[in-house]
Amino acid sequence: MTNRLNRVKSVARKVGGIRRLILILMAVSLGTTALLDFFVVEKIFGPLVYLYIALSTIVGLYVIYPLYAGRRLTKYYWVRVKRNRLAVWGLGFILFLILLALIGPFFTADPTAVSFEEKNIPPLGFTIEESVYEPETEQFIAKTITATGEHPLGTDNKGRDLLAMIVSGAGVSLQVGLLATGIALTIGTLIGVMSAYLGGKMDNILMRLTDVMMAFPFFLLLVFIVFIFGPNLAFIVLVIGLTGWTGAARLIRSQTLSLRTREFVMASKALGASDSRIILAHLVPNVISLIIVMATLSIPGVILAEAALSFIGLGDPNVTSWGMVLRAGQQSLDTTWWVAVVPGVMLFLTVLAFNFVGDGLRDAFDPRSAL
Amino acid sequence: MKKSWLRGYIAKRLLFAVIVAWGILTVTFILVRVGPTSPADHYLANVAAQGQDPSQVVAAIEARYGLDRPLHQQYLSYVGNLARGNLGWSFSNSMPVIALIKTHWIYSFQLILLSTIFAGVIGILIGIFSAVRQYTKTDYAATFLSFIGISIPNFWLGVMLILLFSVKFGLFKTYYDTSLSLLSLANFRQLILPVITLGTGMLAGYVRYTRSAMLDNLRKDFVRTARAKGLPERTVIGKHVLRNAMLPLITIIMFDLGSIVFGGAYLTEIVFGIPGLGRVSFNAIFAADYAVVVAVTLISAFLILIINLVTDITYTYLDPRIRYD
Repeated sequence: MTNRLNRVKSVARKVGGIRRLILILMAVSLGTTALLDFFVVEKIFGPLVYLYIALSTIVGLYVIYPLYAGRRLTKYYWVRVKRNRLAVWGLGFILFLILLALIGPFFTADPTAVSFEEKNIPPLGFTIEESVYEPETEQFIAKTITATGEHPLGTDNKGRDLLAMIVSGAGVSLQVGLLATGIALTIGTLIGVMSAYLGGKMDNILMRLTDVMMAFPFFLLLVFIVFIFGPNLAFIVLVIGLTGWTGAARLIRSQTLSLRTREFVMASKALGASDSRIILAHLVPNVISLIIVMATLSIPGVILAEAALSFIGLGDPNVTSWGMVLRAGQQSLDTTWWVAVVPGVMLFLTVLAFNFVGDGLRDAFDPRSAL
Repeated sequence: MKKSWLRGYIAKRLLFAVIVAWGILTVTFILVRVGPTSPADHYLANVAAQGQDPSQVVAAIEARYGLDRPLHQQYLSYVGNLARGNLGWSFSNSMPVIALIKTHWIYSFQLILLSTIFAGVIGILIGIFSAVRQYTKTDYAATFLSFIGISIPNFWLGVMLILLFSVKFGLFKTYYDTSLSLLSLANFRQLILPVITLGTGMLAGYVRYTRSAMLDNLRKDFVRTARAKGLPERTVIGKHVLRNAMLPLITIIMFDLGSIVFGGAYLTEIVFGIPGLGRVSFNAIFAADYAVVVAVTLISAFLILIINLVTDITYTYLDPRIRYD
């Protein structure tokens, strides 16, 4: 047993640490599955699953593990975050949303099931008057529709259950927010840290590239690309992730610049550590607090961008997202107003929650701010 | 010495802007060409009803728009056309794209202008007030409300305003009336809801920027000196703090215009049916009218480029400190 462990350790040492070994193993296995997926069997995983596996490995190795390794510091930060009541509420709402997205689908109806007998049912506590055409008497008669416990949030004008649509939308928004932000921050961190550490020509090239990317109007570019390549959730996630890293890159670069000349970096260099080791083992862990804050604060923007895309009709037609429900609600505003109200409220609360948490984290990580 | 330095800086910035503009052009061209569908497929959908042979029609269209030529030739003629101000033909509107944009840009412009004035004036005032009274109830209320303001999805806010003020109370019409003259009172009245929709997020952002810019300067030594000299608080805040806070503030407002406001105006126009460039592009998406979508994207990108360029140069000119960086 110890023998085998030692062998793993020696292999790890050869490729530059246990984290690097795990990363390489993940890349190889994902690559093999992707190749199998593409050439041999069709669809072992959907494209989103690959993103999940890759990102959770990276987050686990470079965010969760350092937080665990520095338990005392993490606990200290947590005490500081807890003093900000809004941040705690925000965190509570995000947890509720995650539970809703994970467990909700087992308890709600199919969000796409159309039933014209059950259309226009208002949410609990409301009744509406509707004029219905009566074929026998050939007249319009007023009919009262009352809420039913079967559809607590009511139904839309096609009889789809609003609660089911909201639950489905929560999953879509969280997926898009977390995955796209994960991609954007991975790229942003690498570019920012590399730019600051390597300096000189490399810094110049990377920062000019960032400037060029920043010059594009983000939302219009998104609309343009999705219009040309067609709406697909995984694709939308990729596009947002690949275009949204610029702000993070700049901030992380400026943070790293002050780290570059610190003694521990010098010492590591003097001991013969490679550039990639210094970047991954010394610089990245030291900007992790900034990365977490940036991530929390950029998730709302991403969620809103996806919702806006769905709202204008460029969302993935195979999933039910909040933006899409809102769009349907806007089109029947004079009859089923709740279909427009509920997804918007959820969207608003989600964005607010992430903003509160991000702000709380920023204050907690900032040693200068008195809490 | 100072002049020649500035000239060099402007030349450098201009060169960079030209490179970015070229980058934008090229990326758009590549995206359209790499895309899974040929623009001709979409024209086809429109002529299919006329009973012609599809393959012949596609070939004819491709020949007419030069899509059958080698890529580098297409690229050169694309850039050449743009340089001459020829943005192509919009088949869904049956007019040149440039004429379409000339008739519609003003609606976007008035919306963005009025929203910026609305958000700028109110946002900066609240921000100043909030900073001067830091850590009081007013300050907490302003900070909390600005959080809510930046978190409200603006397209949803628009739908809610329509639901409340147009559908429930009937105070405003639910559609935008283009027959009204732009400077008439009725036109301003129908722009109230759209301006609130677009302006709320901007306003909340400006409150936060103003507050932090004011707080940065309130702690400076020259402010203490000014107070020690016995200057009235009004003069200290108005002259010594606000003027110094204004410079970074205006830069942020200008950059916001590009990154946030253009996207927001796009959605606001769609919600309220205002026939600006956003609405034009939205309609073109559903008609699969490539030329229009490309043109609106390019024009917005170029506008943002110019706005950022002007902001950068003005900032450098006005603030001597950053010249020596």
